[in-house]
Amino acid sequence: MKKKFLIILLILSCAAFMGLKIKLDNIPRKTVPGSSFIYIPSGKFLKYATFGYSSLMADIIYIWSIQYFSDQKIPNRFDYLDHVFSIIAELDPRYFDAYQIGAIFAVYDAGDFDTCEKILNRGLEKNPGEWIFPFQAGHYAQMLLKDYKIAQKYFKKTMEIEGAPAMAKRLYANAAFEQTDYKTAMRNWVEVYQMAEKEGDERVRKIAANHIYRTQASIDIESINEGLNKYKEQFGHYPEELIELAASGFLVEIPRDLDGNEYKYDPETGEVKSELWWKR
Amino acid sequence: MKITAIALNTFKEAIRDRILYLLLFFAVVSLIFSRLLAILAVGDRVKIIMDVGLASLSLFGALMAILMGTSLVFKEIDKKTIYTLLSKPIHRYQFLLGKFFGLILTLLVMLFLLSLIFIVIVLLHSGRIEWGMFAALAFIFLELCLITAVAMFFSCISSPILSSVFSLSFYLIGHLSWGLETLLNKIKPGFGKTIAQVFYTLIPDLENFNFKTEIVHHLSVPPQVFLYSTIYGIMYTLFVLTAAMLVFRKRDFA
Amino acid sequence: MENALKITGLFKSFKSEFLRKNIEILKGISLSVKEGEIFGYLGPNGAGKTTTLKCILGLIFPDKGKIEILRLPYLSLKAKARIGFLPENPYFYDYLTASEFLRFYCQLHQIKKADIEEKTSTLLSLVGLEKSSSLQLRKFSKGMLQRIGLAQALLNEPELVLLDEPLGGLDPLGRKEIRDIIVRLKDEGKTVFLSSHILQDIEMVCDRVAIIVSGQIINQGRLYDLISQKILFTETTISGIKEEELKRYGECVSSYGGRTLVKITDEKKVEKILELAHRKKAEIHSLVPRTESLEDLFVGTVKQE
Repeated sequence: MKKKFLIILLILSCAAFMGLKIKLDNIPRKTVPGSSFIYIPSGKFLKYATFGYSSLMADIIYIWSIQYFSDQKIPNRFDYLDHVFSIIAELDPRYFDAYQIGAIFAVYDAGDFDTCEKILNRGLEKNPGEWIFPFQAGHYAQMLLKDYKIAQKYFKKTMEIEGAPAMAKRLYANAAFEQTDYKTAMRNWVEVYQMAEKEGDERVRKIAANHIYRTQASIDIESINEGLNKYKEQFGHYPEELIELAASGFLVEIPRDLDGNEYKYDPETGEVKSELWWKR
Repeated sequence: MKITAIALNTFKEAIRDRILYLLLFFAVVSLIFSRLLAILAVGDRVKIIMDVGLASLSLFGALMAILMGTSLVFKEIDKKTIYTLLSKPIHRYQFLLGKFFGLILTLLVMLFLLSLIFIVIVLLHSGRIEWGMFAALAFIFLELCLITAVAMFFSCISSPILSSVFSLSFYLIGHLSWGLETLLNKIKPGFGKTIAQVFYTLIPDLENFNFKTEIVHHLSVPPQVFLYSTIYGIMYTLFVLTAAMLVFRKRDFA
Repeated sequence: MENALKITGLFKSFKSEFLRKNIEILKGISLSVKEGEIFGYLGPNGAGKTTTLKCILGLIFPDKGKIEILRLPYLSLKAKARIGFLPENPYFYDYLTASEFLRFYCQLHQIKKADIEEKTSTLLSLVGLEKSSSLQLRKFSKGMLQRIGLAQALLNEPELVLLDEPLGGLDPLGRKEIRDIIVRLKDEGKTVFLSSHILQDIEMVCDRVAIIVSGQIINQGRLYDLISQKILFTETTISGIKEEELKRYGECVSSYGGRTLVKITDEKKVEKILELAHRKKAEIHSLVPRTESLEDLFVGTVKQE
């Protein structure tokens, strides 16, 4: 065949297929994503199948999963969230990003704290020295769930890991406080205070001081309220002044706040308040 | 026709190649395996059989195409059977085309055998014949024709091992080009983007032949897609064959 | 006499992969083969014989030069339809039987279906393979492959037959048979271009020869003209005369069982030794004058380069 003829044929066929490709791309094709999930093998199997390229496979699945889980058009897309991220964990246990992103998808997008917890726990299990996992778990529990019991549990776990930030302890103490476990809270805040003083960390010392004040105030107010309630029970109304509680024997003494000031008392409502603790 | 004579001769040669039967064996094994997999699944078993079955056919078919295509021209040159052949009154392009048609005839036979087994397995499981499967199978065959052309092209310019690597890369790129599309959307418009877009349109999009998902899930496919995909396949194959003919024209057989 | 094959100024070089240097294989080959003759193409290994043949057949494209086959452009299908080619160490499709193979090549020559059967059997008989028509080619011995190769070269009753080492790997009987076929081709009016190492065979069948050394034609012409008819020396085997005496007439090459082989260069001394033998009543077992052989010419030519 003549060379010219072949070259023209080459260019024509190239133009043809390029044109068709553009046309084809513009026709939307229906997809049923997630349909192949039923038989995605477990991560262990996949690890052997990838011949040593398991961490690359983890990357690929990870990148894919981000696109997948971000696609709002896919119905029930979170059904296999844990499964996918467990595969990634199996393939590359040290893929920290993956655990965290998986947790975010679970707790923010899917509103599923249990899965989030699962994923982060897996991360910790495979990487016992990584405090970030329990830390995030506690953080989400506190921020989104407002469940301070769970939060406290995780902040405790965080604290136990070497290298964990000091903040963990403070969050732990705060979580205890929110659960009205003032004893634990106080003990921990005092420890924080002492540590801060020793290290000369003025900022943290001030924070600790404030929290100690607050905790103490809460403890005091709690006992004052106890007295007030007993008084009301007996007398049918709140006393005019707190001193009367002491006089009546409901309280041994009226505590003062740590600054030495009296607690503010409103005889109408029976409310006892302290200074705004963070404005000290 | 001389091309027919060469095609039939190639067919006879290829069909006696033992490696083909090895691949056939593995393909059948994986079809049977799909049946076992189905037992592990929850829910619609037939879907898994069809999915795995079509995927195996596609994969093993591609391997056959690459294996045969790459060894083809090389064997002729290496064993010097090409010397007497080209001294006969035939054009070089007739030789290439004859080889090509002989190969796809072989692939047709192999695919037909495998399809038969596949359909029987599906029939046994679901008691019904899925008409969509035939469409999927037809497009698998079209894809194999393109891969064969590519394998032959590389076989004209390099050794079988390199040709196999290049052909395999073509297959992989062809199935992953959608990734480039996703990436393209994130590039800012400009000269770089235009170049990338041209490149993207040039590289093969083998997913155009992939109707497995739709068939398996009984989704409808707009008829234009079938038409355009077929023509796309034919045009791309023509493109590759023309390139091969151009390269083959002035090649010295030292 | 028209030219069956004419080559003018053929140049071909290859790029060496290692050194990126151009290696010149053919440095201006020119030769012509007259119709109806048997033409011998000789040269040492690596001289460029096979390269020349490949150029003629369009398997390689020369850098420069002109080739005409039967006065037609050498690459045209018309030309190819009128030639036959047997490559060196031929190899064919393993899995085909002899008759299937010939049938396939008949189809390439577009020989009518009705004639194919007859043609294949005729040719198989010609090359002595009629008993192996259903045997798969992979079971063929080298000699058999050579013969089937010759058969496929003659399928289309070509006017010009190109043979590259057609006698290689054959036993003496086989060589004789092929030589006979070649001579018969000439009798049928065909032209034969024969590239070979086996000088004795060339000497026996060729009309004209060309000697190629390092890509150039050193010598070309009628065999009769190239090899002088001069007697180089005479060899005689005598018994009954002692070696010391014989030494005066020529070189005593060897002696065995009482017989001495003497090589006499001077023609006059031949007469003298015969007289001596007659006088001494010695026995002369053989007396052979040796003219220059193709081998002498060849070795001498090659040594010069």
